[in-house]
Amino acid sequence: MIELRDIRKTYTVGKEQIDVLKSIRLTIEEGEFTAIMGPSGSGKSTLMNIIGCLDKQTSGQYLLNGENISDYEDTALARVRNQSIGFVFQQFQLLPRLTALRNVELPMIYNGIGKRERLERAAEALRKVGLSDRMEHLPNALSGGQKQRVAIARAIVNQPQIILADEPTGALDTKTSISIMEQFVKLNEEGTTVVLVTHEPEIADYTNRTITVRDGEIVANDGRR
Amino acid sequence: MSLMENIKMALSSLKAHKLRSVLTMLGIIIGVGAVIIVVAIGQGGEAVLKSQITGAGNTVELFYQPSEEELQANPSVLYEAAFTSEDIRMLETIPEVKQVVASSSEYSSIRYREQTGDSSVFGINQAYMDLNNLEIEEGQGFSEADFRSGRRAALISYSLQEKFFEGQSPIGEVIRIGNQPVEIIGVLAKPTGLFAFGSMDIYLPFNTWKMVFGKDDVTQMTLQATSADHIQAVAEKATFQLNQLHNTEDSYMVINMEEMAEGIGQITRIMTIIIGSIAGISLFVGGIGVMNIMLVSVTERTREIGIRMALGATRTQVLTQFLIEAIILTLIGGMIGILLGWGVSGIVASFAGWPSLISWQVVVGGIVFSMVIGIIFGLLPANKASKLDPIEALRYE
Ligand SMILES: Nc1ncnc2c1ncn2[C@@H]1O[C@H](COP(=O)(O)OP(=O)(O)OP(=O)(O)O)[C@@H](O)[C@H]1O
Ligand SMILES: [Mg+2]
Repeated sequence: MIELRDIRKTYTVGKEQIDVLKSIRLTIEEGEFTAIMGPSGSGKSTLMNIIGCLDKQTSGQYLLNGENISDYEDTALARVRNQSIGFVFQQFQLLPRLTALRNVELPMIYNGIGKRERLERAAEALRKVGLSDRMEHLPNALSGGQKQRVAIARAIVNQPQIILADEPTGALDTKTSISIMEQFVKLNEEGTTVVLVTHEPEIADYTNRTITVRDGEIVANDGRR
Repeated sequence: MSLMENIKMALSSLKAHKLRSVLTMLGIIIGVGAVIIVVAIGQGGEAVLKSQITGAGNTVELFYQPSEEELQANPSVLYEAAFTSEDIRMLETIPEVKQVVASSSEYSSIRYREQTGDSSVFGINQAYMDLNNLEIEEGQGFSEADFRSGRRAALISYSLQEKFFEGQSPIGEVIRIGNQPVEIIGVLAKPTGLFAFGSMDIYLPFNTWKMVFGKDDVTQMTLQATSADHIQAVAEKATFQLNQLHNTEDSYMVINMEEMAEGIGQITRIMTIIIGSIAGISLFVGGIGVMNIMLVSVTERTREIGIRMALGATRTQVLTQFLIEAIILTLIGGMIGILLGWGVSGIVASFAGWPSLISWQVVVGGIVFSMVIGIIFGLLPANKASKLDPIEALRYE
């Protein structure tokens, strides 16, 4: 369960203070499938990065599964990212010199898992996203949709509780986007909490809940069943 | 994440950037190679110089330096021979003396049929032959009887043979020293080594030399002690007896070969230090090269670092990764440098004709030193990598 209490994020540029997030209050239950929408520059990515422990709020509290992780050290946050969260980015963010299999293996290296188990699980994750015949390919030799599926395999390989996807279909065409969204739906049905940022209402339609952010504030919070 | 895992990751990352890795190593390869070469050649040269000076070992050279009073009493003393055959007989009775190596030399004009020239003519005794290891290339050396009887036989140097006989056999030919004929019975082998210059030399048995030049001078005298422990005793007894016999005060002295060898050792050590520090500087520059390229590599791989952090790498793990990459680079570079240094100093040594001495200390030192360089110069880039902000790193183009 994700619980944000009065989260603020302020950047100081020169003498000016920019309030990117203004007192965000938000709770996302386990197993929810949530979309975050809003205009460009409204603070969606900033919010995602704070949820993903890549960034720290200026003030406010962040509770993950009831535990206040606001004042965790860097090392502890790295552990949270490694074990509880899986990231999927718009730009895929694969390491270009590693094969699909090796890319998927990475999070497990930082989780101290043995070599054989790593390769087995990486292969299994790639099979799950339908890429068992592309394991030894370098990212360059993969299409956009395939790259994103490698990224999804990498995100789920440590079996995290939460998947965070910042515009995962932003660089893909409609048809490919649909196949990627089907992956998320499947993951959510298996119990994983999924939060994704999108500009497209059709993508948001796959989710159960849409949060709209504008100027650093949540302006709408619609549950759907 | 285990160390093994770290090393594997570093290796695969270095393999992925082969050209850059090799270029980074180059400075270290050259630096370590230079250090190895300098030390190996320096130590080899020192060993050669030392052995040349101490000869077959356990020798002391005697020399005569007249005092002020003696010079005033007899100014021509400097031009007279310091030793006589009488002295040799006396010194041979000292129990700690194994043999007395004596030689006389004179510069003289020589003639063979229509050809003339100048040559050093040495009168030597049996001990000289033994100790100086004169190698016969052609013909034969002096026999014991030759020394005793003063046979008119001569050994000539390789250069003299080349000059006068142009490759034809000189054995049995008669050459004239001044007007005195001697028969050539052997040719000495061409000297080897960097400092061996072919000179025109003729060697005669000491008794023959006396007849040829009509004098009984011994210009150089070296005593070989029965063992290294007796060198001191030999030196003391010999100088005491000589001074007594010639009625002089401390004019007969010894040059202690050990001391001289020590002096040469010191010179070569200083040389090694000087050249070694130059090599050290080049290693330092190599280290800075590693640092520069690692810094560029960190910038280039900013996004990779961001990705790794997003996937759960801690700052320590990122730091370790880059540090290990730097250490592996310098370590491999160091090992290649050692091989290179070993090869080059071997080649140089074979040309110079002296051994190339690579001790295990130098090899271990080279490896440890390159690792230390890897750590020192890898620390800054690795630290920079670990301090990156993951969000900015992920956004980096
Ligand atoms: N490091 C920073 N320094 C100053 N301002 C920043 C920084 N990072 C982000 N911002 C500002 O914060 C605001 C929110 O940025 P954010 O990336 O969260 O927007 P977004 O909603 O994800 O936009 P988009 O839909 O274009 O991705 C923007 O106005 C941006 O300029
Ligand atoms: Mg964004």
